[in-house]
Amino acid sequence: MGLRIVKRDDCPLWKKCCFYLAAVVIALGLGAALLASLGVDPAAYYSRMFTMGTIGNKIAYKVYINYLKEWVPLALTSVALSLAFKMRFWNIGGEGQFIMGAIAAAWVAFQAGPVLPVAVSLILMCLAAMVVAGLYGLIAGVLKVKFGTNETLMTLMLNYAALYVLTFLGETKADWNFFLDEKSVRPVFASFSKIVSFPSIPMGEKFTLNICVILTLVIGAAVYVYLKYTKQGYEIAVVGDSAGTARYAGMKVPKIVLRTVFLSASLVGLAAAFKVGTAGILSTSITDDVGWTGIIVAWLSQLNTAAIFLVSALICVLQYGSTVAAATFSQVDSSFANMLQGAILFLVLAADFYTRFRVVLVKKGGKDNGNG
Amino acid sequence: MPQQYAIALKGICKSFGSVAANKNVDLNVRPGEILALLGENGSGKTTLMNMLSGIYKPDSGQIFVEGKEVSIDSPEDAKRLGIGMVHQHFKLVDVFSAADNIWMGKEKTGLTLKKDRYDQIEEMAKKFGFDLDPRKKVYNMSVSEKQTLEIVKVLYYGAKIIILDEPTAVLTVQEIRKLFGVLRRMKEEGHSIIIITHKLNEVMEISDRVAILRKGEYITTVNTSETNEQALTEWMVGHKVDLNIDRPPMAKTRPLLEVRDVTIRSDEGAVAIDSVNFYIRGGEILGVAGIAGCGQKELCEAIAGLRPIEKGQMIHKGDNIVGLSPKAILEKGISMSFIPEDRLGMGLAPSLSITDNMLLKNYADGKGPFVDRKRGRADAEQVIRELEVVTPSTQTPVRRLSGGNVQKVLLGREIKAGPNVIITAYPVRGLDINSSYAIYNILNKQKQAGVGILFVGEDLDVMIALCDKIMVLCHGKVMGVVHAHKTTKEELGLMMTGALDLTYKYEDKPAGFAKDTRFETRDEAEED
Repeated sequence: MGLRIVKRDDCPLWKKCCFYLAAVVIALGLGAALLASLGVDPAAYYSRMFTMGTIGNKIAYKVYINYLKEWVPLALTSVALSLAFKMRFWNIGGEGQFIMGAIAAAWVAFQAGPVLPVAVSLILMCLAAMVVAGLYGLIAGVLKVKFGTNETLMTLMLNYAALYVLTFLGETKADWNFFLDEKSVRPVFASFSKIVSFPSIPMGEKFTLNICVILTLVIGAAVYVYLKYTKQGYEIAVVGDSAGTARYAGMKVPKIVLRTVFLSASLVGLAAAFKVGTAGILSTSITDDVGWTGIIVAWLSQLNTAAIFLVSALICVLQYGSTVAAATFSQVDSSFANMLQGAILFLVLAADFYTRFRVVLVKKGGKDNGNG
Repeated sequence: MPQQYAIALKGICKSFGSVAANKNVDLNVRPGEILALLGENGSGKTTLMNMLSGIYKPDSGQIFVEGKEVSIDSPEDAKRLGIGMVHQHFKLVDVFSAADNIWMGKEKTGLTLKKDRYDQIEEMAKKFGFDLDPRKKVYNMSVSEKQTLEIVKVLYYGAKIIILDEPTAVLTVQEIRKLFGVLRRMKEEGHSIIIITHKLNEVMEISDRVAILRKGEYITTVNTSETNEQALTEWMVGHKVDLNIDRPPMAKTRPLLEVRDVTIRSDEGAVAIDSVNFYIRGGEILGVAGIAGCGQKELCEAIAGLRPIEKGQMIHKGDNIVGLSPKAILEKGISMSFIPEDRLGMGLAPSLSITDNMLLKNYADGKGPFVDRKRGRADAEQVIRELEVVTPSTQTPVRRLSGGNVQKVLLGREIKAGPNVIITAYPVRGLDINSSYAIYNILNKQKQAGVGILFVGEDLDVMIALCDKIMVLCHGKVMGVVHAHKTTKEELGLMMTGALDLTYKYEDKPAGFAKDTRFETRDEAEED
């Protein structure tokens, strides 16, 4: 008897979902084994993690508000990256574009915030972040179009360049550096949350829904329609599938590449503006790794916008929940979420294999294989 | 035991997913014979041979080599059993020398490369009567040299049974003759040869027996001397087929597209097309013959505006088209469809649906930011209906279709746009008889509608039957333009290799200049 891999013709959606679900369950099982070995009751830990500590919590609404604050940048960054990925432009520079967008938004907040009405300042922050991040993303796009450089390398290296710019701003005490707190002797970023901040809409008794959540949902829907039904979306699909064919059809491939890269990066910038505009302060860890996690989300969702919302929501539960749980279970570090996330990613990829192939048992044919 | 076969297959079954590629196939090969394996695309020839060479494993059935039942689990096993396969797409390392390509598969060679490997391999090649330079790098080799190297490679490893998968598809007439000489010599030395080919005349010429597969099933094996092309086709297709290609006569019209003194460079910067002249009239099929890679691709791309023209002129209905964008050229009614070796590289977006592929050239028409998929679907339905494309739906990604259907989708879209000049390169590449004839019919219908067609082809028999005139290219130069009904395969073959130049056959003008040209400077000079 032996094992053989056979290609599947078609895998119905319910079956796919079962495979993915099984992958998540196995990953949680692995996590449970690890937790048990640390002397923690997995059931207690998981229930705390998945409810994010909202059960029996008098201020549960705050948990939801904070949870959404984490979700917005991740979901929007994933949507933005999926635009470039659809064109098979491997923009792994989400981190750098996010940082540049955040710096631009903070700049506007410090400069325009005190003199202009809040609404105008907020719009300017968004626009500045989008333009700066978009141009930053465009660097890799232009180099690729003009010289055929590898966008993966370029965007990756630009991540570090952006991070050093931010670190420089955070550590350089000088008269020109309005990003820092003037009152502090040591260099620390100044807060502008009192000057400008994205408004929230009160819902129910205490819960308030931040406007960024609504905007993110609207943009997600718009990107979905853009990719699926518009001429530009069609061009992105053709260029991604075969640049030769696009050229042959009379499309201006460089223009399409640059336009899409700019759009992708500027939406990452917008995510940064949302983040900065709700946090009210810069920090060297402003990105929360959304530039990286967003890649994972986009791929797990297979570039489907609706799936991106779902997957990013789940990953945020993992991340946020594990910080909450870490407060209760002191022996488990909050980076347990990263481990769990990694395990889920690997197993979902394995599940993906099973949606395309089957493994079957076969009887060996023939008696000997001619080797005597 | 009645007769000892070199190789015998009994009841071989193999399926991929729910598709049965081989159903209960029996096949046997005698020692020292050439067996032709015949069948349409998708009839399971290559799958069957891949099971012999250890790439696939049968789901059920038995394989006997010299009367002994064996199980071939890997290419290593096949090698040990003396089975060697020359694949359609060569499996060679470009930057290695011929000798190293052979050498690298050898076991127990030690850690160092020994100098004497060149001599050993040269000696062996000579023994079999091959002309092979063991020091030559593969990237410097012609297609036929690469093929020779592949054959020497399987012989070097002591293959007694040699499988050749469509070996003649890329060769010229002269090279095919040379290959057949080699095959006959190997046969005399007791080797058994299985040759897969689509070309019936080659089957009749080279094989001793013919085995026929149809839709994965074994049909029959017949002695070549007791059969004919018509009977073989009927076995292969399952019903009667008319093997004649029509050449409907058409009245002459003025040239639609004229190309004068055009030079084009390849991607590497070498001159791919060298001062070429030709013209196409409406209602005429001009064939372009030449060994693969003689500038056909560059010529097609340049006409479609995808490649810059170094010098020269191209006029379409009297208007200059040099330097126009691909889009502007499309709008003039010049359509180009090039079927590359991978069949999908140009003209289609493989992961997109048939509907989306129909929209490729006209998606930008119409107002508003949205794509009009309704029209695309209507076009897709029409092409599917009229050209009998086999597909589950209009939403099926093109890469899931079989080769013939992919090519029908491509040609169907081009024709739907109502062009007046069609440039088509290798439209029947890799297609079986039925699909090929469907494509020839499509082209003939267009010709009768007054469209001028440039047909870049491979099969000289087909070109002689289908085209009105044939232009022969050799290393980017035109070797002459001949009337298809007056020429022979031998003449074309000589021109393709550059041994015969008919450019100045007619003394009054070189080939490729129209008497009634639309180039104004020529107009007065040549008018009688």
